[in-house]
Amino acid sequence: MLKRNAPVLTARFEAMRDDPTDVAHYRQLGGYEGLASVIDMGREQALDELDAAALLGRGGAAYPAGRKWRHLYNAAGETKYIVCNGDEGEPGTFKDKALVESDPLAVIEGMTIAGYEFKAQQGYIYIRGEYRHLRAIFNQALENARAAGLLGDHILGMADFNYDIRVISGAGAYVCGESSALLNSIEGKTGRPRVKPPHLADVGLYLKPTLVNNVESYASIPVIMREGGQAFRHLGTPGGGGTKLICLTGHVKNRGLYEVDLGTPLEDILYSEKFGGGSSTGRPLKFIHFGGQSGSIGAADQLHDCLYSYEDLKTRGLAIGSGAIVAMDDSVGIVDYLTSVANFFAHESCGKCTPCRIGTLRILELLEKFQQKAGVPGDLAVFENMVTHVTQLSACGLGQSVGKPMLSGYELFPEEFKQAINWQTVERKEVAW
Amino acid sequence: MTTEEKIAIIDRYHSNPEQILNILVDIQFQSEAGYIDQQTAQLVAEKLDISETRVYEIVSFYAILKETPQARYVLKICDSSPCHFSGEPVVSQWLQEKLGVGENQMTQDGLFMYHGIPCVGACAQTPFVKIKGEVFPHLTPEKLEKLLADLKAGYYPELVGGESHVEA
Ligand SMILES: Cc1cc2nc3c(=O)[nH]c(=O)nc-3n(C[C@H](O)[C@H](O)[C@H](O)COP(=O)(O)O)c2cc1C
Ligand code: SF4
Repeated sequence: MLKRNAPVLTARFEAMRDDPTDVAHYRQLGGYEGLASVIDMGREQALDELDAAALLGRGGAAYPAGRKWRHLYNAAGETKYIVCNGDEGEPGTFKDKALVESDPLAVIEGMTIAGYEFKAQQGYIYIRGEYRHLRAIFNQALENARAAGLLGDHILGMADFNYDIRVISGAGAYVCGESSALLNSIEGKTGRPRVKPPHLADVGLYLKPTLVNNVESYASIPVIMREGGQAFRHLGTPGGGGTKLICLTGHVKNRGLYEVDLGTPLEDILYSEKFGGGSSTGRPLKFIHFGGQSGSIGAADQLHDCLYSYEDLKTRGLAIGSGAIVAMDDSVGIVDYLTSVANFFAHESCGKCTPCRIGTLRILELLEKFQQKAGVPGDLAVFENMVTHVTQLSACGLGQSVGKPMLSGYELFPEEFKQAINWQTVERKEVAW
Repeated sequence: MTTEEKIAIIDRYHSNPEQILNILVDIQFQSEAGYIDQQTAQLVAEKLDISETRVYEIVSFYAILKETPQARYVLKICDSSPCHFSGEPVVSQWLQEKLGVGENQMTQDGLFMYHGIPCVGACAQTPFVKIKGEVFPHLTPEKLEKLLADLKAGYYPELVGGESHVEA
């Protein structure tokens, strides 16, 4: 039974604290019931459950997991790969770290269910380079699962269920979280994105059909299969089922990781003592940056009746993304904030395409100029155009996301941008081309 | 770190080119100078049967992998926005005062160096520094002073070539 407003993905964290890799203990707490259910109900039914669950990808793009799994299920080819994206590069996000650290077997069970579903033999989990210590925990959990006959040859004694998981370390490149770059990185190449289409479910790792899902998505799979898709969906809203791990950072009192039902009022998340507890600085909160650096920014005073759900945020031009919620008080100027965001993009652009490689740098330079209040008339139009160009002309989600924080921030606080311009100077005219 | 030790790491990953990141990260983590020197690059290239250029392509692409010698203790400071506006920049000020060097410069004794990196997932613990895998959270000038003194006195052996984590 799934209860509302109760931990689901974090339910075992406390109980398994002594040894999160202990398979017997994990099984006592409902572990591997999801896998058993899938074997019981059959592969087609499992896809139906996933559809009913309305699980949207937790890595940031919110792509329906059911649709992705069905695509791979129908993809031609004997060999299919299962990949777990644990690159967790979005600043302000540390929920995949928590899952891998505190309940690694749930991630392994989710990946094993995928292995069964697609008759795959090999799965990979890509763990962020900065999370080096997690590799030991995860490897131990893999080892224990193998010893218990839950990975390796003849899983659960079944003749044709042979599946194992390998860990790959990242090495500090945000772009490697992009799914096709991730696959290149796993293949031992530099982690630059591939040109898409083709879809990775058709042409993925080593050119074979491949499933790429986020750590939190995989951890949700056993719950869905154990409790049923409907039960999972009822935890959330019609637009997206389940609970969501969120990371509260910035100027709230109780920074940290929380699990909330999708559809929880945003005010509760920010201000109730159970969660954020309101401003930590005594100053009112001014704006909230959702979903990581690549997400959009909302003004705190315009979000009073907003629910933390996929659909409610969407109607306000915002998104859940990775689950990062960065709250800033009114001491933070939007230009300063966006400069820091631009710095991140300029630093992490992989350089494969020109608009992103050069554009992110030019955006950063322009914002630094605004910080010095050294803008000239015409600069704001240049800023808007440049951001729009980078967003429209870039090849992957990194460059394409630049517009979200930049334009949402600009639109919310245009006055602060205007104050960055010295209106007495000569206007800068863009050269038409 | 001896050549044999490096080969042992490569062998643990079955000289599989797919494992090049695991191999390079593990070797660098255990190396004294914290970088992939040319000998290592050559060795890895030979063992994995790929070109040395490929190895250098990888080393230069991934931020964690270094091409030049690092200080014994590299103090990493988060410069992503959640931390940047939550008191993290003060750490680089303190470090500049206490160590007398700028960002990315090594102290004369070769012990310390500090620089900014993107989010390390410790956003709820500012101000902090991260050294190798270890986060030292909620710093004050006093705590930082003590940390530097402890490091000088060699209290954190695991931060210089600690144990490695290897998969089957
Ligand atoms: C630049 C960039 C970085 C990304 N980083 C991550 C990441 O760190 N972790 C993640 O799960 N997804 C990340 N994504 C999203 C992935 O491309 C992909 O959508 C996701 O892993 C799919 O899993 P999901 O559907 O379960 O969310 C990133 C995307 C882009 C464009
Ligand atoms: S948009 Fe940026 S990060 Fe993405 S492929 Fe182009 S240069 Fe690389």
